[in-house]
Amino acid sequence: MVSWWLTFRKKSLVITDWWYDMRSELKHSPWRQLLWPWKPESSREAGSAVVQNFLLHWFPNRVSLKSLSFPYSMYLGTITLTLFLVLTVTGIFLMFFYTPSVERAYWSIKDIEFAVSFGWFLRRVHRLAAHMMVAMVFLHMFRVFYTNAYKDGTTVGSKRSYNWVIGIVLLVLTLLLSFTGYLLPWDQLAFWAITVGTNIASNVPLIGEEIRRFLLGGTIIGQNALIRFYVLHVAFLPLAMFGLIAWHMWRIRKDGGLAVIEQVREETKKQPPQLPRKTKTYSVLGIAKGVTAQVIDPTVLNDENSVPSSPNLTMRVLNVVLLTVLVLTVLALFVHAPLEAPANPEVTPNPAKAPWYFLGLQELVGYSAFIGGVLIPFLVVVGLAMIPFIDREQTHLGIWFTNSTGKRWTWIGLLWGFVTTVVCVAIGVMFPMREVFAGIESQLFFELVNPANLLILSFLGLYYVSFIKTRSHRMAGIALFSAFVISFILLTYIGTALRGPNWMFYWPWETWPIHPISF
Amino acid sequence: MESKSRRSFLTRVIGGVLGLGFVSTAWPYVRSLFPNVLYEPPQRFKAGPPGNFSEGATFLEDRRVFIFRKGNAFHAISGVCTHLGCTVKFAPYQKPKERTVRGLTYEAKGEFHCPCHGSKFYDEGTNFAGPAPRPLSWYSLELSPEDGQLVVDLSQEVSRDYRLVV
Repeated sequence: MVSWWLTFRKKSLVITDWWYDMRSELKHSPWRQLLWPWKPESSREAGSAVVQNFLLHWFPNRVSLKSLSFPYSMYLGTITLTLFLVLTVTGIFLMFFYTPSVERAYWSIKDIEFAVSFGWFLRRVHRLAAHMMVAMVFLHMFRVFYTNAYKDGTTVGSKRSYNWVIGIVLLVLTLLLSFTGYLLPWDQLAFWAITVGTNIASNVPLIGEEIRRFLLGGTIIGQNALIRFYVLHVAFLPLAMFGLIAWHMWRIRKDGGLAVIEQVREETKKQPPQLPRKTKTYSVLGIAKGVTAQVIDPTVLNDENSVPSSPNLTMRVLNVVLLTVLVLTVLALFVHAPLEAPANPEVTPNPAKAPWYFLGLQELVGYSAFIGGVLIPFLVVVGLAMIPFIDREQTHLGIWFTNSTGKRWTWIGLLWGFVTTVVCVAIGVMFPMREVFAGIESQLFFELVNPANLLILSFLGLYYVSFIKTRSHRMAGIALFSAFVISFILLTYIGTALRGPNWMFYWPWETWPIHPISF
Repeated sequence: MESKSRRSFLTRVIGGVLGLGFVSTAWPYVRSLFPNVLYEPPQRFKAGPPGNFSEGATFLEDRRVFIFRKGNAFHAISGVCTHLGCTVKFAPYQKPKERTVRGLTYEAKGEFHCPCHGSKFYDEGTNFAGPAPRPLSWYSLELSPEDGQLVVDLSQEVSRDYRLVV
């Protein structure tokens, strides 16, 4: 027994020695450019890793423990970016097999599914990653909103409000990318989702019909529309996306890191002042214009509240990336990518539904095409972009829900959003406006009197009341945002699961009547 | 003072020239995206001799238009929902119903239903349920002078009283 133990110790020591040898070997070999040392022996070495490695250049030298904390950011932005990169790689491979022509598009997708080795896998990963990316972008936005992370704070040169607006543009770009990709399989699902989607655009006052013609390159969804959507999907929108993502990342560095850094700053301020000490920053921002957080206030991050980014942040990011890819891969083995019958302009499937993230809108579009399809999306996007410019209270940055009052208004908002959305849908289902006001033919009347407008008014009322109660745009914003979140989720669920043939309402336990496919 | 106004003048001139240059450079790219020629099916087409159509509704699938026949009177109603462009389905009644629409009483044979958002139309086109903002369009019908076939013109809308009597 004892001899076995001794042998084991000896062997493990040999292995440890080998590992140390390998590490020092790696440090001096050309491999070091790719395989950076995981356990740097000094802060200086950790800093050099970030500066000298191309892949790491966008990381800061040191990172606060609070920023690393998983419950704070949940790494939702990292997951989103990973999904985008996966989409780029799978998308480029799919481009080898896809032909954007009306005659061949559908059959090239069939080939990807059945003739190309692992084509089914590429397509499933691409589709899943696209759906997940839309979901993650929304979750990322929810996180940034609730943690007060869209505020500039006190860091010199910080403009998180700009980064929030860039984020909103990225959200819209993500939706557009997903929507343009939706048409490419050229099956029934694709064709009718795009029919409904582009007809919504034609409800824009005055120039609506022109916008639709511009989107489609004609008056019908044909070859012109397919090639337009294809080019937007594979070149134009991804390039815009890459540029804006780079800007988004760069701004995080310019803003001094995640918003929670303001908490670290406040804590450091409470400490007794220390003697100035000589510091050296390894930040690439050292050569950028202006001053950075590290230079002007090098005492915010110290040995107690922060660690070197390499390997503490890099390893976490790597793990999140690997986990995302793992989840995608496993899901792709089980979740099929649907492909319906080839696009047939003569037969509308019943029900005809848009992609899931537009089904909340489709539900509202069921009340009024202009209100649900044009006015509400416009109000949502503009409203979201204006948040940092309405709520200028520069406190509580990086704290979930701000404080206990914020938590209370979150619950009130969620409850109010839930109740009003249910009431509006119930009115829409049980008292169709055209039956209640059967004698009225004026279209304007029905644009004004419908459940979607009631929903808008109830939300504006919520903002007004919560602002009167708290005198705080942040609190009113939390209430309104929470109502929006729950309403978005609820409407999406209703549009996805509770709407059947002829857009009739069905409970989950009711079976849909079988409708003849063609006339 | 003088040099300042000169500077602002020059800034404005240079800005204007740059702006003009940008617009004139961008113009060809933008304009190219508005097609001059559309290879789409013609709006005016022959639908066959009147004798081929049976009493009631006939759906021309590829052109999304319904041809209605009552005795020797014909009319054409669009099959495109006025809400978001889905193709409506004709749901015939078991027995014809008496109905009064727009002050006229007639014998209704069925309704149009839209699968996308549940809009409904009477068989003469009036929207009565769901979000559809307008009645279904009626299109001009005529007889071809060459071979006597029905000619449908989708570019020419007509009133809901239009009938072609053959």
